[in-house]
Amino acid sequence: MSELDRQIERLLNCEHLRESEVKTLCAKAREILVEEANVQNVDAPVTVCGDVHGQFYDVKELFKVGGLCPETNYLFMGDFVDRGFYSVETFLLLLALKVRYPDRMTLLRGNHESRQITQVYGFYDECLRKFGSVSAWRYCTEIFDYLPLSALIEGQIFAVHGGLSPSLNTLDQIRLLDRKQEVPHDGAMCDLMWSDPEEQVDGWGLSPRGAGYIFGADVVSQFNHTNDLSLICRAHQLVMEGYKAMFSQSLITVWSAPNYCYRCGNVAAILEFDENLNKNFLIFSAAPADQRGSPAKKATPDYFL
Amino acid sequence: MAASSSDSSLLGIAIMIDELKAPDTTLRVAAIKRLSIIADALGVERTRLELLPFLTESIDDEDEVLLALVQELGKFVDYVGGPEHAHTLLPPLEVLATVEETVVRDAAVASLCDVASVLPLDDMVAKMFPLIKRLGTGDWFTSRTSACGLFAVAYPSLPGEHQAELRALFNQLCHDDTPMVRRAASANLGKFAKTQDKETAKAEMTPMFVSLAQDEQDSVRLLAVENCVALGSMFNVEENQTFILQTVRNCAQDKSWRVRYMVAEQFTALADALGPEITRSELIPAFVRLLRDTEAEVRTVAAFKVTPFSALIPLDQVLKKILPCIKDFVVDTSQHVRASLASGIMGMAPVFGRNHTIEHLLPIYLQLLKDEFSEVRLNIISKLNDVNNVIGIDLLSQSLLPAVMELAEDSQWRVRLAIIELIPLLAEQLGIAIFDEKLGNLCLTWLGDSVFSIREAATKNLRALINVFGVEWAAGNIIPKVLSMYTHPNYLYRMTTLMCIAELSGVVGEDLLLNQMLPLTLRLAVDPVPNIRFNVARAFETIIKSLPAEVVQGEVKPCLVKLTEDTDKDVKFFAQAALARC
Repeated sequence: MSELDRQIERLLNCEHLRESEVKTLCAKAREILVEEANVQNVDAPVTVCGDVHGQFYDVKELFKVGGLCPETNYLFMGDFVDRGFYSVETFLLLLALKVRYPDRMTLLRGNHESRQITQVYGFYDECLRKFGSVSAWRYCTEIFDYLPLSALIEGQIFAVHGGLSPSLNTLDQIRLLDRKQEVPHDGAMCDLMWSDPEEQVDGWGLSPRGAGYIFGADVVSQFNHTNDLSLICRAHQLVMEGYKAMFSQSLITVWSAPNYCYRCGNVAAILEFDENLNKNFLIFSAAPADQRGSPAKKATPDYFL
Repeated sequence: MAASSSDSSLLGIAIMIDELKAPDTTLRVAAIKRLSIIADALGVERTRLELLPFLTESIDDEDEVLLALVQELGKFVDYVGGPEHAHTLLPPLEVLATVEETVVRDAAVASLCDVASVLPLDDMVAKMFPLIKRLGTGDWFTSRTSACGLFAVAYPSLPGEHQAELRALFNQLCHDDTPMVRRAASANLGKFAKTQDKETAKAEMTPMFVSLAQDEQDSVRLLAVENCVALGSMFNVEENQTFILQTVRNCAQDKSWRVRYMVAEQFTALADALGPEITRSELIPAFVRLLRDTEAEVRTVAAFKVTPFSALIPLDQVLKKILPCIKDFVVDTSQHVRASLASGIMGMAPVFGRNHTIEHLLPIYLQLLKDEFSEVRLNIISKLNDVNNVIGIDLLSQSLLPAVMELAEDSQWRVRLAIIELIPLLAEQLGIAIFDEKLGNLCLTWLGDSVFSIREAATKNLRALINVFGVEWAAGNIIPKVLSMYTHPNYLYRMTTLMCIAELSGVVGEDLLLNQMLPLTLRLAVDPVPNIRFNVARAFETIIKSLPAEVVQGEVKPCLVKLTEDTDKDVKFFAQAALARC
């Protein structure tokens, strides 16, 4: 059994890694991610997942329902960290699986994979608490810059965290972006991670989030036509039923954090595409209390003897 | 680490002492937790003369540091020179027992008790007794609260006049102006009473107990319930009737639900303490009232007690008084009450015996199995075995099987999982004929379940079934159907075939393995989906253990060699790993 396999085993038990191990893991991940495209090509079959937000035990529940990696191929559409209690373990587990099985696991960048946002919504504090320093947070946020912005499944299904951008008409324009940077406050790269679809809107509208845009059915229809797509998969918005199809099935929101923030009462979903791109939604609830460990205890740093 | 004179060890100690003054709180807490190492190095005398005064000075610190300090000091008797010097630990602990933070204070009381329990008699009189008096008459409620916890440990070894003084002081604390102090007094009353002889306790403690049980604050009153248990177990039936019973009655009908909740929670302990006579005559009506309480929280905790309490009273009373309440619980508006009932109700079957179980409990079980709240269903299913022993399998299959079959397709996958785990047990008891008729198809359905964990459990279930029914049954029935799944258009379900082959390869015997399973595995090695191909390699790792060597060399190895030339990295990796085992 390799070192990495042992690390995955530890992470599956919700033990986080040592700071030095995080550094090595991130270095290996960077080698892999730097080769991936802004629009990463993904083969079917693949199971598509939305936000998980550090809800580690619910990610384990997700794997119980969908099957473990590498048996099942996964595409996670971002927002691995913040809000939940176990952002560190959650992100490191997914990243370790990515490094161990690069062809079986695809990770996209979400708006929370950012230095600014993680300092407000919990990941930064969690790193500080669990490692006793911010180095681990630095390694992780550097890796965030290398995550692909979107994926293209079998050339016809486009997956992205948030949505579309008024400055992007074609996939080729996305391919030309320089993604290796902090998520900007505006512009194409920002929109991909921040925008939302909206039934009531024609064309583009201002987003109440203060970043990205809201876009209507006509925008999706035009984009899908131009790029020869059959479907857009995205995450980014809480859906009480776990998933929601819009614009006559041309766009689907997938949400994979059950009982979001441990209080919303929603169910979660993952979307299985088989090798012929047939869709199957799996719905799951939060892990029951007896499956959850107690909140992580503080590690006492070994500083002498 | 023993005290040693080597330089490096002294340097370590010096660093540790520095850490005690570190500006960072977490460093100080960690340093405090290693105090015993410092004390060990300093020796007992310097610990008493230098370390303790230093620590006493540093008591003005963060609560976290104080908590760690208090806990360490409780374990420090050996480091200051054993019981005859243990009193040196009392002054710092006394100060810590008066701080504002409850957690620190409680820990200080616990540490004081630990230290006091080893004090020689002289010190108990000269040091501990005045300490309790000082704390008990202190200006702040914090010190008086802490005092309440120290009576029980000091009282037994003190001379008579001191004991009388302590009882008078405790009485004073029971009537303190601050509810926090009265709460602490009530919480410690039972423990204190148990250290006294029965007559003294009866004469002096019961009035205090009665007065606390009628306190204006419900947080004080609810503590009286535990005292009912403590005092009740000391007294005989008449004494309980005279002194305790009225309080139990009052608490069970208290206007605050928190008090009633406490009574419900302590109910079996109360019944034990007050004895069978009072239980029969007085406690049954009180329990029924709690079962019908207006607050769902009280009903929930009372529902937990239904089974243990019923075991304490005659069956005719259970049927007459408790059963009607149970029937109401089944349709209770609160799902928590129903779940609580479901978690214990299966244990009622042995209490009821066969006939009453069939007549009264079975309909209740069936109804709970259809409850809309999945936790209720799960609680019933997971304990089905308890009932089985009482009513036998015939009746179980007739009455519960339809419900079990319905749950086998429950929308909650954990309910389905619970049913699968029940299947080998049912199979054993139903026999092949009924099993094939009723459950055979379900076992196959689960193999095609959309949830991965269910498919996995269904695979393991097959193996358990083969252990029950034998290979021949499997060869004729299940295996052909399982293997036919390899044509499924979705890779996740083709994978199930591979999981089954790996799981069953050790038990099906060579004929099935060579003629059916191996050809299929070889065929899946050219599946278009890489996940299937590398799972073929992984399956081979298990299968080869049951294959003859020439087959491994002649058929498996060439296939794996071919897979090591696959275009997919993971296929190559797992093929190489499997090849290494050939």
